[in-house]
Amino acid sequence: MNGSTILETTNLNLWYGQKHALIDISFRIPKNKVTALIGPSGCGKSTLLRCYNRLNDLIDSSRITGEILFNGNDIHDSHADVYAIREKIGMVFQKPNPFPKSIYENVAYGPRIHGMRDKKALDRIVEESLKGAALWDEVKDRLHEPALALSGGQQQRLCIARSLAVEPEVILMDEPCSALDPIATAKIEDLIIRLARDYTVVIVTHNMQQAARASDYTGFMYLGRLVEFDGTTKIFEDPGEELTENYITGRFG
Amino acid sequence: MKKEQAAPVPFRDLGRVRRPETGVGPSPAGATRHLVDWTVGKLLFCAALVAIAAVFFIIVFLLRDGYQIVLDTGPWNFLIGAEWNPAGQHPAYGVLPLIVGTLLVTALAMAIAVPLSIGSAVYIAEIAGSRTKAIVKPAVELLAGIPSVVYGFFGLILLTDWIRIAFDQPSGSSWLAGSILLAIMAIPTITSVAEDAISSVPREFREGSLALGATHWQTIKNIIVPGALSGISAAIILGMGRAIGETMAVLMVTGNAAVIPDPITNVFSPVRTLTGTLGIEMGEVAFGSTHYHALFGVAVVLLFITLVVNSAARIIVSRMQGTARSGPHRALTAAASRIPHAASAPFGRLVSPRASQRCAFLLISLSVAIVLAALGVILAEIVVNGAGAISWEFLTGSPSDLGRAGGIFPAIVGTSYLVGGALAIALPLGIATAVYLIEYTADGPLTRSIRAAVDLLNGTPSIVFGLFGFAFLVLFLNFGVSLIAGQVTLGLMILPMIIRTTEESLRSIPGSLREGSYALGATKWQTTWRVVLPPALPGIITGAILSIGRAAGETAPIMFTAAIFSSRFLPSSLSEPVMALPYHLFVLTTSIPGATPQSYGTAFVLLLLVLSIYLAAILVRRRYNRAKVM
Repeated sequence: MNGSTILETTNLNLWYGQKHALIDISFRIPKNKVTALIGPSGCGKSTLLRCYNRLNDLIDSSRITGEILFNGNDIHDSHADVYAIREKIGMVFQKPNPFPKSIYENVAYGPRIHGMRDKKALDRIVEESLKGAALWDEVKDRLHEPALALSGGQQQRLCIARSLAVEPEVILMDEPCSALDPIATAKIEDLIIRLARDYTVVIVTHNMQQAARASDYTGFMYLGRLVEFDGTTKIFEDPGEELTENYITGRFG
Repeated sequence: MKKEQAAPVPFRDLGRVRRPETGVGPSPAGATRHLVDWTVGKLLFCAALVAIAAVFFIIVFLLRDGYQIVLDTGPWNFLIGAEWNPAGQHPAYGVLPLIVGTLLVTALAMAIAVPLSIGSAVYIAEIAGSRTKAIVKPAVELLAGIPSVVYGFFGLILLTDWIRIAFDQPSGSSWLAGSILLAIMAIPTITSVAEDAISSVPREFREGSLALGATHWQTIKNIIVPGALSGISAAIILGMGRAIGETMAVLMVTGNAAVIPDPITNVFSPVRTLTGTLGIEMGEVAFGSTHYHALFGVAVVLLFITLVVNSAARIIVSRMQGTARSGPHRALTAAASRIPHAASAPFGRLVSPRASQRCAFLLISLSVAIVLAALGVILAEIVVNGAGAISWEFLTGSPSDLGRAGGIFPAIVGTSYLVGGALAIALPLGIATAVYLIEYTADGPLTRSIRAAVDLLNGTPSIVFGLFGFAFLVLFLNFGVSLIAGQVTLGLMILPMIIRTTEESLRSIPGSLREGSYALGATKWQTTWRVVLPPALPGIITGAILSIGRAAGETAPIMFTAAIFSSRFLPSSLSEPVMALPYHLFVLTTSIPGATPQSYGTAFVLLLLVLSIYLAAILVRRRYNRAKVM
């Protein structure tokens, strides 16, 4: 594995109440690459993803041990500012969740809450973010229409634009295409590949073809453990573990 | 491995100077953000404590003045003493006849209201087409908007007369009259809660049953109603709570003789309820006397009964919520096993499914017709007779000759002062409490006690608020009978309603929106203020409007705290008493002979005021629902 590491996970364990949802997870996510997490439903992929921006904090019964270093800083450190972490590590959710505001307001929301008041600068950020999410051409004439009037695929790209607007370093994507049709899915996959030039993308997916098409590295998870983590080609062509091979060849899952 | 060719449009750089790779340690901006968030959280918490404090004070002040009676008469003589006669030579303070009166009136009212309400709920949720529904549903809800003193007025003028003549009785003021009025008043509560429960049974269950060849009625009977049973039970109990706590209407039509009907099934006997006793006697009692303490004892008993009833509702709902998911499933499998049997033995049935469906739908339509007829008669009576009494002078003049002449302008102004003040107190507190409960706390002992306090306030009869206002604000804090005492009392009364509706509309905002905002690095307060509250606003406004309607029509809470009967002048300060429409109507109707046209006029104005407020709420909600579909 070459290149620098942006997120380093060491001996991560997580419990939801009594349930041990993540078990001893250790691996490094490389910078400016697309990393995919695959595995059957309930294996803990989404839970792991939500550890990186501490969204699991919102669930009261969750308890965490181990360490996650973001650029070398422990995100669970008592001095760490959880809001700054989430500003740097953005997230796109499974179902598009635009706010019930206009397209413009959706994208401007993030910069605004982080203190941006300058109207001109906001306009520019909105435009750039929408371009970054390959949505600008479709919506530039109706920025002030409600975001909920967009199609599902457009809504999801809007959510990506929304997370780009706060200049994150990492974008976490939790099955971003599972609620979309094949054409919208293809657009998002293109976008993911392009985003990796400027950002680090971590994507959870059900869809193995998607992982194979769009990612540089792949981790296979099963029952709360990270079974194998390696280059995507290696995982799909020559997996090191029998379990991984069985899953990839469709013998279970 | 990277598919560069898959990216035909080159990705444009965002053109901004990326900040140097930063850590996530403390920064001044971060510190301010945390401080603001922390402060807001604490402020909201303080608001939420007010709800607990209010309950605490209500209970303390009722007990403080009420325990004396138990010392004077002994607990058993008080609770099961068969005679209530505080004015007699040998005053007797036995509340048994009052308790029996309350239970009888409520029981008969429920016997009338439950079938009609459930019929109406099934009709609205299942049978009515969308256009019929758009008329029937608001019509039933309008029944809830009619102030209780207007019901009482209607009862006194029309219903008691009808009972006297139709059943050839010496007087129509009776148990039956009280129960009929209470039934009409409980119907909208039961209907709307039950209809919500029925409508929320998932469509799949319905389709699953119909796909098995069940008729619509079989589906309603075997799948939908069992699936909605917890909600329907809660609806019935809530309606019961409303009936037990009702004061003005009952007081005006039940005859108020503190006797146990003889025989116990004699529905034409006059009865007296706990609430009625408080309404009649509180105004005339000497402060600190045994009678005064006895009345507070009555209030404690009343509060206890409503507490038991409302807790029962809560327990049923929470117990059945656990099984609600599996309920319809089980019902569906049961129905599935039953229907093919029926199909294979069609001749084994006495009545064909089609015929029984026709019969059932007929009965259901009949119940809706009865409810609508009740609404129609009440509205027609008051509108037809009241419109004639309205004149410019009536609306803008002051009353003279004990309200037999002149106008009701001071009462209109007084009512708006009272309602405005109540809203100014309850709205900020209520919204803050709800936001705290939904957005800021996990389910813990503290949240549970705040919720319990809100529930308790919500179930507290309005007359008890009146008594509390009298004991605490008027006497203890020495406000006297004043505008401010009335505003605070009314404010406390509508507080739980505002908290509830705000909580509900906050809950309806999907969690994914909050996560979306948190994932961008927003704080709790930023998320609440910018993402959660705006779409919740229409719901909150609807709740506020409904509580205005409620406050404007209430008599019992202001009777001893703020209202005077006849005043030529408007209040010039918060410490002066005011006239108010509902109280004016009450006194005109019950104490001033020869003021019938003025009574009709006042009832008409009050009805118009309150119903237009309700109509506004319905319109806001409808507009909001349409916007949501978009």
